[in-house]
Amino acid sequence: MRSAGPVVRIPTAVNIPAGTPVLMEADDLALVTRAKAGDRDAFRTLVVRYQRRVYSVALGIVKDRDLAWDVSQETFVRVHAHLPEFVGDSSFSTWVLRIGSHLAIDSLRKERASSKQNLDDVHEGDLVGGGEGILATALGNDPQQNALRRELAGKMTEALAKLPEKHRTILVLREVEGLSYEELAERLAIQKGTVMSRLFHARKKMQALLREYAGLGADGDAGGEEGGA
Amino acid sequence: MTSDLCLRWAPMIGARPGELTPEEEHGLAEHLAGCDGCVARLADETALSGMLSQALLDEANRRDFATFSDGVLARIPERAWGGAPGSASAGHGQGGFLGWFRRHRAAAVAAVLAPALAALAAVLYVGQDHHDVPEAAYVEVTSEMGGATVLDTKDGPVVLLGEGEPEGT
Repeated sequence: MRSAGPVVRIPTAVNIPAGTPVLMEADDLALVTRAKAGDRDAFRTLVVRYQRRVYSVALGIVKDRDLAWDVSQETFVRVHAHLPEFVGDSSFSTWVLRIGSHLAIDSLRKERASSKQNLDDVHEGDLVGGGEGILATALGNDPQQNALRRELAGKMTEALAKLPEKHRTILVLREVEGLSYEELAERLAIQKGTVMSRLFHARKKMQALLREYAGLGADGDAGGEEGGA
Repeated sequence: MTSDLCLRWAPMIGARPGELTPEEEHGLAEHLAGCDGCVARLADETALSGMLSQALLDEANRRDFATFSDGVLARIPERAWGGAPGSASAGHGQGGFLGWFRRHRAAAVAAVLAPALAALAAVLYVGQDHHDVPEAAYVEVTSEMGGATVLDTKDGPVVLLGEGEPEGT
């Protein structure tokens, strides 16, 4: 007879893409309940379950592996401290990732001396000579068979690290944490229009870097202008 | 081809369902129908969709997380594990009274010490000299009027009148 909810051991190397509708949400709640009651094993199970996702978000934002590790651990310390406040109005994974991205952004703010790049308007210079469609053509429609896709995937984090801080952050929040425009606007304290234009710039720079890595006519402006400024 | 319309609509490429207003959705669709450049942008966006998330997870999976959870638990102060008494596996699997005692050490010690301290205080109090009670030395005296008891106290003699106290005194 079990005294509490089932404990599902997840291999540490498990790969759970963001936004995957995991069937473990109910189990998460059982573990949270036990962790709230002081059960360390239950809390450890939650940590192991989400440590890599939290780390991937932190790494995407802070880009330094050691800092990302530290931010990730601190994330779970905060999670534990605030467990009594978790009432399940969002999924546990969403809640944990939110705390993690907050901490990652905070850690960047502490390190940042100043930000000179605040323009988000889209200007004509942002749209010309970008090599649009080259990546899509090269990557084709078969994700499993495409060697270039695998090669580019390996270069993704490298390209991400070359982006300005605010572009890294918004891309990770959008693509990894899966935030909507509205959530991004609230989280970053910017207007929805700024969210869209900032994402546009971030993607454009990322694509230019990837084209360069792939040798696909590197005529983009990866390290170039921000909003034409 | 780039136009002023591209400046307006290109940032909306990549929006998820419901994120644009109906007017924006309609305007974007209309623009895409006549703009090869933005169609190409949309194709790039679609082709790269999900790759960043996967790349970061792959990066995470290449790292050894064997010590991660131990590190997290080591950062959590002992007093933060204030779960309910008898919770399962509390205290690294030490449930029951011992686990509860470890999580509520201060309260348990106080609970044991409180009665002992109270008993000690009572013993000390009873053992004290209570000077407010007159030291009594019964001295029998006689008088012509009858018997009386005189208490010899530090404050001086106190005469207790007995039942045979003469009327009028």
